[in-house]
Amino acid sequence: MGFVAAAYLVVAALFVGYALTLIGRQRLIAELADAVRPDQGRP
Amino acid sequence: MLVGAAWALLAAPDEVFQGFPQRIMYVHVPSVMTAYAALAVVFVGSVLFLWRRDARMDRLAHSAAELAVLFITMTLLSGAIWGKPVWGTWWTWDARLTTTLILWFIYVGYLIVRAWAPGSRGARAAAVIGIVGVLDIPLIHWSAILLRTLHPQPTVFRPEGPALPASMLAPLVVNIVAFLVMFVALLTVRVRQERTLSALVEVLEGR
Repeated sequence: MGFVAAAYLVVAALFVGYALTLIGRQRLIAELADAVRPDQGRP
Repeated sequence: MLVGAAWALLAAPDEVFQGFPQRIMYVHVPSVMTAYAALAVVFVGSVLFLWRRDARMDRLAHSAAELAVLFITMTLLSGAIWGKPVWGTWWTWDARLTTTLILWFIYVGYLIVRAWAPGSRGARAAAVIGIVGVLDIPLIHWSAILLRTLHPQPTVFRPEGPALPASMLAPLVVNIVAFLVMFVALLTVRVRQERTLSALVEVLEGR
């Protein structure tokens, strides 16, 4: 029982971990896009 | 994926010899099947990139390689956790296990090359690794058939058809499909990110 639960938890953790790296990378891309964007709206 | 997990854990029957730990097969087999699908994408993307110098194919191969490492990691870890109660050990230098570990190292190497050598030179080197690494898959498959190995013989993809009863095959197929759908979804997001990043780098380099 414990081994099966461990295996499923490891697989779930890897999926969640990878999803979090995608989210983190998406935030970095958004920040980079903001930095690259022409100076719209600035005085 | 939740339906597949619930079916495997709650509704599928116990295997006679292995008992409850055999239910790890319902994530182990889909992990390796999805890893092979990811590696097929790496292979095709790498070949097309070297042939046509198409950056889109490079981005596809790079994204799929990252996911291949994820699914090979799942395969190795779930296999090790299954091995402890069934074989009495987490790991043994068995032909199939060793060739699978080599596959993991090859594609981790691929990602290291991509990280250390960004640009076209790194992309070309990684594409060669991506193509050559796929040659390990037939070795993994045939290692359990031709060599003496502790690993169970194939029970699904056999010339004479699956050896599993329908009550085990159905949840296994559901899990394989769920893993493949998840792979396609993650690959789509990852490729989109690579495309946006490339466009941003081009803008920055043009300044």
